[in-house]
Amino acid sequence: MKTIPAPHGPDTSAADLKNIDEVSLIDLLEKVEQKHGFIPRDISDEVARLMEVKLERLRRIQGKLDTTIRRDVQQHVNHWRNEEGNLIMILHAIQNQHGYIPREVAMELSRELGVKLARIYEVITFYHYFKLQPPGAHSLTVCNGTACYLKGSGDLINEVRAQLGIAEGQTTPDRQIHFDTVRCIGCCGMAPAMVVDGKTCGHVKTSDLAGHVATLRARKGVAA
Amino acid sequence: MNPLTRQDLANFAAQPTPDPTEWIRVQLDTGGVAAGAETVYTALQQALAESPRGCELLRTGSVGYSFADPVVEVQAAGMPRVHYGALTPELAPTLLAEHFGAHRLLDDHVIATRRRGLVLDATVTHVLVGDTGAADVNKTEFLQFSFREELKRRGLADRVQVVRALDLGIYDEGAVVQLLPSAVTYTNVLAHDVARIVTESIDGGRVIDDLLWKMPDKQVRIVLRHCGEVDPDSLEDYLGRAQGYQALAKALFTLTPEQVIAEMKVSALRGRGGAGFPTWMKWQLTRAQPSTQHYVICNGDEGDPGAFMDRSVLESDPHTVLEGMMIAAFAMGASMGYFYIRAEYPKAVERIQRALDQARERGLLGRNILGSGFDFDAKIRLGAGAFVCGEETALIASIEGRRGSPSPRPPYPSVRGLWGMPTAINNVETLAIVPAILLRGGAWYASHGTETSRGTKVFAVTGKVRNAQLVEVPMGTTLREIVFEVCGGVLDGKEIKAVQTGGPSGGVIPNSLLHTPVSYETLLQLGSIMGSGGMLVMDQSDSMVDVAKFYLRFCVDESCGKCAPCRIGGYQLQQVLDRISRGRGAPGDLALIHRICHAMQKASLCGLGQTAPNPVLSTLRYFGEEYQAFIEGGPSYARKMSRVASVATTAAKPPVDPGSATRSPIPVKEVSP
Repeated sequence: MKTIPAPHGPDTSAADLKNIDEVSLIDLLEKVEQKHGFIPRDISDEVARLMEVKLERLRRIQGKLDTTIRRDVQQHVNHWRNEEGNLIMILHAIQNQHGYIPREVAMELSRELGVKLARIYEVITFYHYFKLQPPGAHSLTVCNGTACYLKGSGDLINEVRAQLGIAEGQTTPDRQIHFDTVRCIGCCGMAPAMVVDGKTCGHVKTSDLAGHVATLRARKGVAA
Repeated sequence: MNPLTRQDLANFAAQPTPDPTEWIRVQLDTGGVAAGAETVYTALQQALAESPRGCELLRTGSVGYSFADPVVEVQAAGMPRVHYGALTPELAPTLLAEHFGAHRLLDDHVIATRRRGLVLDATVTHVLVGDTGAADVNKTEFLQFSFREELKRRGLADRVQVVRALDLGIYDEGAVVQLLPSAVTYTNVLAHDVARIVTESIDGGRVIDDLLWKMPDKQVRIVLRHCGEVDPDSLEDYLGRAQGYQALAKALFTLTPEQVIAEMKVSALRGRGGAGFPTWMKWQLTRAQPSTQHYVICNGDEGDPGAFMDRSVLESDPHTVLEGMMIAAFAMGASMGYFYIRAEYPKAVERIQRALDQARERGLLGRNILGSGFDFDAKIRLGAGAFVCGEETALIASIEGRRGSPSPRPPYPSVRGLWGMPTAINNVETLAIVPAILLRGGAWYASHGTETSRGTKVFAVTGKVRNAQLVEVPMGTTLREIVFEVCGGVLDGKEIKAVQTGGPSGGVIPNSLLHTPVSYETLLQLGSIMGSGGMLVMDQSDSMVDVAKFYLRFCVDESCGKCAPCRIGGYQLQQVLDRISRGRGAPGDLALIHRICHAMQKASLCGLGQTAPNPVLSTLRYFGEEYQAFIEGGPSYARKMSRVASVATTAAKPPVDPGSATRSPIPVKEVSP
């Protein structure tokens, strides 16, 4: 009778529990199946158990997240409770906190305010300032006001597109740099202007861009 | 802190807080901070900590010299008051040592005062020199040298310092010399005049009449009167040094609301937001509505790209705007006000919020203000990046927390506005003027400007101009004066092609019509509008078709989509323009453009749609041949033009060092789809 050597003993699995994710577990199953033509019972049980543990943890995180979201939203709403027309101000507060307006938060807000979700999305999508996607860890914003446009912000935008490989309003695949254009940042005296991680740079030349991008990439940051 | 009383204000009026004898004011507005004013401030702070000089380091807003940011104003005992521009943190210790220690000015950083003198009323201590002639040969150094040599020969070299100026405020007048502290200014100084100036003026104290620059400064600062002078974060400073809230006290205690409105009527102030509706009439109409509640709104949603005067006023002088709003509220019987400010202007929001908190703390907001029985409070509402929210009804919708769609007028907001109550919406600039009118009288204000457009207007002059800056001139000043005499003409000495006013709702004014005096009516006649005051200078390398396309794309993006003429008309117009600019236009396209524009103007619901065709129509009117050339030239011409444009922009840029050039190749021009 063939004994099937388990790739990981139960002990090691328990130890590795924290760093094994679903994908690698499924990989493991596939490998075992390829090797032996079937999946032995004890392995599949063990995998199922690990998956269940994993899911349970996710559920717990989700639950915690839900309470956090609820608490946060309640805080914002309470702050603006007695004000008429508070929706936009609450959305501003949420965006300041998260960098964008997550769907879950918008749904919670809808419950809390008693406003239909569609109404909230109507407002979010109408105003340019509100974002529905999480921004990257770093931001690079080119001003496309008229003064900047005349002084060559179009070339700057093309250069950023070429260097990052993304269009405006998008984030690099590694979620590191978010590239956007803005109507006018009011620094027309130093056109063409650009905002790099909140710091405004004036008189930007296309040749400077590589340097800015390199500094951003060098700055370690966690994607939001 | 104790609430202010009427008596406190009277005391402030009787005894203004004196300036400290020696101070440095760092101008910390958004533009300045972006250029590094905060680092300059910290560097100065450190330098002062290392070598204390008894001079106070103060924070202010911007005086408007955007071209020279970061700007610092310095006052030292026995020295003329000067602005230093383009400072760096490294210069901080030098500035302190030279200016306060050695009583010498820094070369290449001084911005000469615009208040030029006509008589030599004090011994000359410093001479500012600058060559304002053609840009290719700069004779400033030579001029400085000649003066130094001449002074040495006369044995005056120890007493008088010769300084190269960063900017003298006079352009294309050859060599310019300014004698400080009396600020007597000589222009078109030739080599043989140097000896004359030294013997006659510097030594003899006599003014040389044939060289003297007698022209008074074009600018009149009413809106910007405190910008760069007071600390925007300090109520005390405003109360003590800028007659703060005196106009409010005057209105509350000596005038009736009717009298306030009457004073505004005398001043003939018209709304500075662009449309030019008489302010007094707006207040009168709002006041006349029977209602339990009236509202006053300050419109600080400066969405017009290329304009930054509202931002500058809010950041540099928030208390004046608040005071203006309170006077407006008193005149209309409103007890609640809103500041609607763009979220993109965080510094302006922060400073207004601080002003509101300070005012509330000192009893200037709330119940029974100054014991007069007048109740008023104000709040901030943030805009969220929608150009259409500059339109009154859309702005109200946005404050109410809805999407900013405009609604048909009438009813006007002065009848049914915010939450159905009578509401007056005033621009930042309008409100900032109000206290000045009450203090100095409507007749004084009306003495500036033209017959139909009284007073002054602030313009943000940007684009291809030498000195991009804020300019406040009386109405009736010509565009040429603003661009050439105040702002120094076109960048790099190129030829001017046109000036664009009014942002995406305005039009272009060609070179041949720059002699037009600025007023609501004249600009309207030329197919443009006053708008909020953005003024964009374009040189010969800018394609007008491209500019029209830029503005139109802006309006199409910003259209709220509620009414068809704006939504569909704008998009179709953009398609036609796009076609033309790719050289695929048909001969009938120009007529089609006119038809669409006409429909949009007549049938759109709000100002955005009605004025969106303006840039297209005005470029077509004055530069029709450019459109024609694109249509007749076909695709090959269009390709050539786009090459020319990119060559022109790269040529205009200063040479880059070879190291960085190898790292980033010349950008590949994207082929438009």
